[in-house]
Amino acid sequence: MTTSSIGREVKVAGARIAGVMSCVPSLQIENDYFIDKFGEVAVNDAIKMIGVQKRRWVNESTTTRDLCSHAAKRLLKELEWLPDTIDALIFVSQTPDYRLPASACVMQSELGLPNACIAFDINLGCSGYPHALWLGMTMIQSGAAKRVLLAVGDTSSRLFDKDDRSTAMLFGDAGTVTALEVDSSSVAHFIMGTDGQGMCNLIVPEGAFKNYSSTTDKRLNYKNPVFLFMDGAEIFNFTLQSVPPHIARTIEFAEKNTNDYDAFLFHQANLFMIKHLIKKTKLPNEKVPINIEEFGNTSSASIPLLMTTRLKEQLKNNTLQLAMFGFGVGYSWASASIKVGNLKVVEAIEL
Amino acid sequence: MNEFYEGMAEVLEVDIDQISPAFELQNIDWNSLAIVSTIALVDECFDVLLNGRLLDACKTISDIENLIAAKKD
Repeated sequence: MTTSSIGREVKVAGARIAGVMSCVPSLQIENDYFIDKFGEVAVNDAIKMIGVQKRRWVNESTTTRDLCSHAAKRLLKELEWLPDTIDALIFVSQTPDYRLPASACVMQSELGLPNACIAFDINLGCSGYPHALWLGMTMIQSGAAKRVLLAVGDTSSRLFDKDDRSTAMLFGDAGTVTALEVDSSSVAHFIMGTDGQGMCNLIVPEGAFKNYSSTTDKRLNYKNPVFLFMDGAEIFNFTLQSVPPHIARTIEFAEKNTNDYDAFLFHQANLFMIKHLIKKTKLPNEKVPINIEEFGNTSSASIPLLMTTRLKEQLKNNTLQLAMFGFGVGYSWASASIKVGNLKVVEAIEL
Repeated sequence: MNEFYEGMAEVLEVDIDQISPAFELQNIDWNSLAIVSTIALVDECFDVLLNGRLLDACKTISDIENLIAAKKD
């Protein structure tokens, strides 16, 4: 364990990814949907920047847990893992079923996992996936668990105002489940950090137990506080400032070179931002898979969704050296340098 | 400055000849998309990160150039 200006640096040994399953809602929303609301010019301008051509949205009765449970059942079946062999389940989301109990508890029973199963929720968004990998693998390294499920995703369409131009076109919904197991030869490197001063730039101001008020923050004037508020310029600034050094330090901490990596998986925040990051850090375009055009910004699900849509064949047949970067809401950021491959299951399904 | 002016012309969707320090941003749609594009452009040209709220308050290209100069020092 070391600390740099980027964050806490941790090496975890003894665990690997055994399979990944994503589940997206079947309802596809194309950009035409927004023209009546915002006008053609505004829609085209926004799309040119964010790069989203279509996205999936859940209906009113479907939650992140529904997507994740569907993915988990299929994943367990195809891995041929019996539910009673699962030692821990971590649910990472900002759109749980209830304020309490934890959605992980609901899932434990729904999936038929044993009572001797550790299950809890984590409230993180864009940075959630590398955090979940770190925690799940640490549980295996410590001996607390041999098999862990990471249910990671969001149904952001239930959080934003469909009439708010700054968020409505950007986000899509997805749930994913990643299976972790013991593997004595595996090593992964993680760097994680936080800057809560950015809390007010991506926030749902009301609906929990504290109201973040528009009297202290003029940007919230005329915005409905029960919906997601995003200050795109501030988030963009934060990303440009923090991600390039995070990339450099992750590669260095793992004692690798850029050339050693088969792919760099970025949280799919916004196409313009990802392209700018690639240019600034001089990463080879062909090593940075993108799926924001098809699914939008899917919050914590975006990295596993990239694996199951853009790297599916490679991850089935080969082992890839991957670097993953999640950054955003919090502010919170996390990276992983990890080998993933020869996966028995790596697939995206619909609900 | 040429690269910056060319970029600004593209971001603001106006002819390059129109871009000068006196160019009035209120004459065009100085919206959040234009501001984000400008942040990226300035980062590319000068390796300087401008604050979105300060950019939002700029009235002319010259105001943006002053922000860049202040950040460089």
